[in-house]
Amino acid sequence: MRQKEQLIAELSARLGTKNVLTDATALSVYECDAAPSFKAMPDVVVFADTAQQVSDIVKLANKYDAPFIARGGGTGLSGGILSVQGGIIIALNRMDRILEIDLENERAVVEPGVVNLLLTQAVQNRGYHYAPDPSSQKACTIGGNIAENSGGPHTLKYGVTSDHVLGLEVVLPDGEIIELGGTVEETPGYDLRGVMIGSEGTFGIVTKAIVRLTRNPQAYQTALAIFETMDDASNAVSTIIGEGIIPAALEMMDSLVIRALEEAFAFGFPLDAEAILIVELDGIEAGMQNQTDQILEVFKQHNARQVDYAKDETERQQLWKARKSAFGSFGRLAPNYITQDGVVPRTTLPKVLRRISEISEKYQIPIANVFHAGDGNIHPIVLFNERDADQCERVEHVNMEILTVCAEVGGTITGEHGIGVEKMDYMPLIFSPADLQVMATVKHIFNPTGLCNPGKIFPTAESYEKLGLQPSEFLYS
Amino acid sequence: MHDELKHIVGEAGILPEAQIADYAFDGYVPKTVVLPASVQEVQDVLRFASKKTLSVIPAGTGTKLGIGNLPQKVDIVLALTRLNRVVEYEPADLTVTVEAGIRLAALQTELAEHRQFLPLDPPYSDRCTIGGIVSANASGPLRLRHGTARNQVLGLRVVHANGTVVKSGGKVVKNVAGYDLNKLYIGAFGTLGIVTEVTLKLSPIPGREAILTAGFENVQDAVKAGLNVVGSQTLPMFVNFLSNFETGGTTDGKRPTLIVGFGGDPKTVSWQLERCEKTMEQNGAIGVTIIEGEPRRHLHVAVREFAASAENVIAKLNLKRTDIAEFAARVVAEGSDRGVQVMALLGSGVLYLAVPVTPDTDFQVFAQHLTELRQSAMQTRGNLIVENAPPELKQQMDVWGPLGDAAGLMKQVKVRFDPSGLLNPGRFVSSC
Repeated sequence: MRQKEQLIAELSARLGTKNVLTDATALSVYECDAAPSFKAMPDVVVFADTAQQVSDIVKLANKYDAPFIARGGGTGLSGGILSVQGGIIIALNRMDRILEIDLENERAVVEPGVVNLLLTQAVQNRGYHYAPDPSSQKACTIGGNIAENSGGPHTLKYGVTSDHVLGLEVVLPDGEIIELGGTVEETPGYDLRGVMIGSEGTFGIVTKAIVRLTRNPQAYQTALAIFETMDDASNAVSTIIGEGIIPAALEMMDSLVIRALEEAFAFGFPLDAEAILIVELDGIEAGMQNQTDQILEVFKQHNARQVDYAKDETERQQLWKARKSAFGSFGRLAPNYITQDGVVPRTTLPKVLRRISEISEKYQIPIANVFHAGDGNIHPIVLFNERDADQCERVEHVNMEILTVCAEVGGTITGEHGIGVEKMDYMPLIFSPADLQVMATVKHIFNPTGLCNPGKIFPTAESYEKLGLQPSEFLYS
Repeated sequence: MHDELKHIVGEAGILPEAQIADYAFDGYVPKTVVLPASVQEVQDVLRFASKKTLSVIPAGTGTKLGIGNLPQKVDIVLALTRLNRVVEYEPADLTVTVEAGIRLAALQTELAEHRQFLPLDPPYSDRCTIGGIVSANASGPLRLRHGTARNQVLGLRVVHANGTVVKSGGKVVKNVAGYDLNKLYIGAFGTLGIVTEVTLKLSPIPGREAILTAGFENVQDAVKAGLNVVGSQTLPMFVNFLSNFETGGTTDGKRPTLIVGFGGDPKTVSWQLERCEKTMEQNGAIGVTIIEGEPRRHLHVAVREFAASAENVIAKLNLKRTDIAEFAARVVAEGSDRGVQVMALLGSGVLYLAVPVTPDTDFQVFAQHLTELRQSAMQTRGNLIVENAPPELKQQMDVWGPLGDAAGLMKQVKVRFDPSGLLNPGRFVSSC
């Protein structure tokens, strides 16, 4: 990056000084996302209001060789918006307009700064919602969801962000504004829309999205089941899927999470339960009871101590509030935590959860579990104190061993949080140098200067060393 | 060339001369058809082709060779039919990994033993392969409920033009590690690499399936009734509109007709059939019939195979669903007396036309008509793709149509993945 003062002067001239932050205190808000173990200070933060402004900022960044990174709600969990090489953070929160709602075609056109839940709230009275529902949906933005290809509890039945986004307006890393995909379900040519989604902000900046809206189901049946052991609960999960029942959501919480939730919010969960499953069926009321009975049977087979159904919408909302509040309660358990995000084949859940508890034992690091069991998407919460150097070192080993287990059973190292800076070292666990080289090739096509969100996703020579592997001959980024 | 290829794939890996005609397309007969029996052989064939700058046209059983612009060069057809094993199937995970050359029908038979299926029902479902479905992103009526390969593929193994084997995605149902390159290969018609292995999500077979059919006086009423069902609280598997299409006795081929499929718990299906029947009556349906069992299966097959007609020109319009009525009415009015058949996947916004070709067909005029229709579709943010056509028509028009402002990026992708342009040259979107 060259001539920082001049860059800031030009940005201020273009956007007005009130839309350009340079003061250290103001900038410090932007030094991390919701994974605060990773921090990096940007040189400047700017607020954009239109795609044209984003394009102008990007062109200025190119002129001064400055890295630039788009930011939405800052709720990411992998350090994906960290300005690891300094540069400009482009805050998109002000681009928060819902431009069009077309219920007949089940579409909405939105700007990237629209908060996920606000889109659902804008259409729910008319019987629709936006299906991807990350736990952070009160604060995370559609733009951020697109960058990470976010999921959520209801991913199990409804799919991830990519399944709900049809078209994108994108400012490419050279400032050009283009459209990918469209309003209709298919457009000719390569599916660059699909490639852009989940590219973690390294292929350009989304300035508009055409998304699907989903009709609200006629009925829900939501239940909470209490188990004496984690094994019983996870066996129940694989039995449900194995029997061909696909609930709308199937979530699991272990005793540590239950305790933290109770201390923080007093939802009324039993403190002596080893595991809780929340299962939700949705769809047509007629016939739903059959599936409910089937699930109840599976729960009994696996020694569920108690099964309670939400009696009405208030009770249902309460259950989901509890589930989605879990992340807010971990502060009670330890000063710091890292949320892992591996995915494993659902039949391996019992084995993998046992392995995680062994790892916790071995390194004397507590691990809490709250996760999307139906998808096999685990979220081990690794609890520690970052001021304790010895703990930090053990945490490193814990992370590596958990992700190694996920890779070994045929899974992946992230199901919805993204690689960011947090997991780039572990990419060689699941991708060969040749696989990564293809990804680097595609990145180079979109982002040839590398200025758009640098230092993410790709492993470095040190990553290979850390894993005890021969460093790859390829240089990825 | 023949001997060197025989050296790579063996005697059994070269399709006998007499059968090569099965892989002819657009008036071109390939010089040779190789049938590699391993990924290694696919790599070796591609390395050989690279060295000799021979073009390679990837195929399965050949059902989709008619799709695309006229080829620049047809040297080797590489058919994956011998790579046809199930690699990994753990029913309780609801996922399967297969070699790309396995036939969809063979896979479905194996999955059905565990009451599971792959919810994809493209044309030629009886003989097309998984690799072909993925490479063409081929889909059928079921896409309303289950989406297309883009929603169901979890991972791919691909051999690039230079012989390198890479994987994208993985084997689990959720995965955001690295870029989602599955999306790049799905629907790329083999122009970026040859898909050799596919991991897919599966679904349980519904406890009961039923189809409701209804006839209407005119196109508008039929489409309106269909869209009412799509927007209702029922959850149909598909809502298809048909005009001038004979389905084998179960429907009146002459009238605009709706074919609505339901599946699920028996009680759920009953409730939906009742609701749907009411909607039909309220919208002026003439005769409503509910079809189950073997006749239901036949009707689903008939609808599914609409676009599988080598003798017709098949055009596919992608539209907003609210634009379908207008376009359907227009093509029915203009085309009925010329034998034009129409099918729409109402919920998905897809409108298919099957236009008969006769010895008198003036292809210049034909291309002009299709181009005008394409322009109308583009004015409402839709598009038109010609999926099957004789070479005479392809000489007159680009089957894919304009790419918009992403064309430059697409070309770069092609150039970086296949710098010598060996894979399926000329057939995909312009210069890709």
